Amino acid sequence: MHELGLARSIAAIAEENAHGRRIREVRVAIGPLACVERGALAFCWDLVTEETAVAGVSLGFLEAENDTFVVREIEFMEDS
Amino acid sequence: MCGICGCADPANEVSMTDPETGLKTLIRNEHEHEHGHNHAQAHDHHHEGDDAPHVHGPGGEVISLETAILGKNNEIATRNRGWFEGRGVIALNIVSSPGSGKTTLLEATIRRMRGRAEIAVIEGDQMTSNDAERIREAGARAIQINTGAGCHLEADMIASAVKSLDPAAGTILMIENVGNLVCPAMFDLGEKMKIAVISTTEGEDKPTKYPHMFRAVDWVVINKMDLAPHVDFDEASCRQNILDVNPKAEILCVSARTGDGMDAWCSRLANLLKEFARAGA
Repeated sequence: MHELGLARSIAAIAEENAHGRRIREVRVAIGPLACVERGALAFCWDLVTEETAVAGVSLGFLEAENDTFVVREIEFMEDS
Repeated sequence: MCGICGCADPANEVSMTDPETGLKTLIRNEHEHEHGHNHAQAHDHHHEGDDAPHVHGPGGEVISLETAILGKNNEIATRNRGWFEGRGVIALNIVSSPGSGKTTLLEATIRRMRGRAEIAVIEGDQMTSNDAERIREAGARAIQINTGAGCHLEADMIASAVKSLDPAAGTILMIENVGNLVCPAMFDLGEKMKIAVISTTEGEDKPTKYPHMFRAVDWVVINKMDLAPHVDFDEASCRQNILDVNPKAEILCVSARTGDGMDAWCSRLANLLKEFARAGA
């Protein structure tokens, strides 16, 4: 279940870049060769963010090439 | 609890066991994930000097990043690699499906290489320290890592295990990854190279079914050659499948049980050690 660890890493990256602001969505770019299962990652995301600073933040997916696997965008709340 | 594979707690614990002392150390647990920036108050929204480019969309502000999600693992792997090179330790990341005979291959290797090379082993499995016990009985130092729900080893686990093993210069450090041909391909541990072990009983098409892994390795060991005639294993076709996905792969055929091909495998390891010593000198 490596998606669990990946979800934790994404949460840590989001928190580091939030500087305390409220995030609406974190968007990750996943290439076809990245070996990452989106459904499993989405499932793990809800699990690992529960009761953390990024609880309730949605996880979005962007198309990418090859083995790309990066956090590409963070969208903040309007009032944040 | 991992809701997908259904495994129960303490599934999210990662522990390390020294079979010599029986000492078990927790490397990670469920609540280990620390929140680096625990700001009690929100910051003002500065524009000047912000390091991330950002736009104001119809919703809130969007910042662009290209942060590698495996970046933390890769940083630790790079540190491990530097440490191995500095110390003069060859780290080999052994990957395979469960039951291909990795541990049997290592046991036979340790027995044959006695007096020729120092071998130490990091064993990765979800549960039990059976494999580390076997390695210890074969005469090498071993540390068992139990990954719980985890399906692969990560660089920080290797860093912890290496601290405990403290391998001497000239040691071949065999890292026996969790039996899995998918995820271990993604996670750099700081090894010199990955070696895949496949067995004749798995059929000839493993390399084409799991191309990511076979692309990531330098060597492929085909084990259980003694069983080849009984399971109609076609060696030529297997070799072709390996070379189709990875034309540079070096292929060795062995039977860890009968010892066939083990001399060639051990010589290859000894040569690796020599090359490494020369490069370091």
